[in-house]
Amino acid sequence: MKLIWIAGCALLCVAATAAAAAQDLGLPVGTDAPRPAVKDLDGKPVDLGQWIGRKPVLIEFWATWCENCEALLPKLTSARTRVGDRVEFIGINVTVNQTPDRVRRYMAQHELPFRVLYDTDGASVRAFAAPATSYVVLIDRGGKILYTGVGPDQEFDASLARAAGISH
Amino acid sequence: MNRRLLVGLFLLQAGALAAQSTSDTPVAVIVAGPQVGERAPDFSLPWSTREVTGGDPWFSLSAQRGRVVVVAFYPRDFTSGCTAEMKTFADQYADLFGEDVAVVGISTDSLATHRRFAEELGLPFQLLSDPDQVVSKKYGSADPAGYNRRTVFVLGRDGKVAYDDRRFGALDPKAYERLKDAVQEVRKAGASH
Repeated sequence: MKLIWIAGCALLCVAATAAAAAQDLGLPVGTDAPRPAVKDLDGKPVDLGQWIGRKPVLIEFWATWCENCEALLPKLTSARTRVGDRVEFIGINVTVNQTPDRVRRYMAQHELPFRVLYDTDGASVRAFAAPATSYVVLIDRGGKILYTGVGPDQEFDASLARAAGISH
Repeated sequence: MNRRLLVGLFLLQAGALAAQSTSDTPVAVIVAGPQVGERAPDFSLPWSTREVTGGDPWFSLSAQRGRVVVVAFYPRDFTSGCTAEMKTFADQYADLFGEDVAVVGISTDSLATHRRFAEELGLPFQLLSDPDQVVSKKYGSADPAGYNRRTVFVLGRDGKVAYDDRRFGALDPKAYERLKDAVQEVRKAGASH
């Protein structure tokens, strides 16, 4: 009886740890990328499936107030210059503490290296388990997640080159 | 030997379930800490704001009785998700909470770090320091890795848990909507008494 109790506790502890660890880490590399319903700044539905599973896709979850996102812009701009003809670059605005007008004003002041989408109800944030703004997800041509990262100093060049099918 | 084998099999199964939970729908949800309708465990912790490092006296939950209290456990100051959450709380404070609500954030960070974080984001509420996770353990919000999980509790004027979100999404607009609705409902319920 005591042993069963110990084993039960072990089961609960391991499951709890896994659940906690999954909370702030995003989706694991190698899993299929979800294709949640998102919208553009005008509120029109956009089907991510028109890109995911058809060509490599780089998604950044961003916001105008995110300093890490702004710090990451030069790297994303450089990446798009290199492989923008082979990889779809998408910036999903997380819409927390945002309005479409605020995003438009920001776009007028910054040349953003991605197609801007606006996730009004957070469907993509939940689907991709986005832990923070500046969260980058790189998806290969087959729709598998190849890379995830957060912060201003991410190293996704090698994965991006692999996704684009060019030597790095 | 058979007993050891039994325990080993249980652990293997636990590991398999845990591995599955990271790549698929979680197979187990552990809900520790106070449940909705239960009395919130009392606590007392040191605090900082954007203007004060280590204020006196400590924040005491029992001293808030009669007020609606929002307790937000979060992993770390200055990390991206926590910055998003706390900045949204600050920028939408009146809309999300209202002036008569006591809001506190709790992490394992020091009082000095809390002060810098609150100053940088202009937070209009107290950040409590719980370095040993004494309080976050009481609320089922302690991660074994030594930081807090992101959870939110809304406590009614009677000191009971009126709402909880054990996986608060810092970037999820729905999470903030649910929190706002919960706070408004609790404020209304209290006002009608």
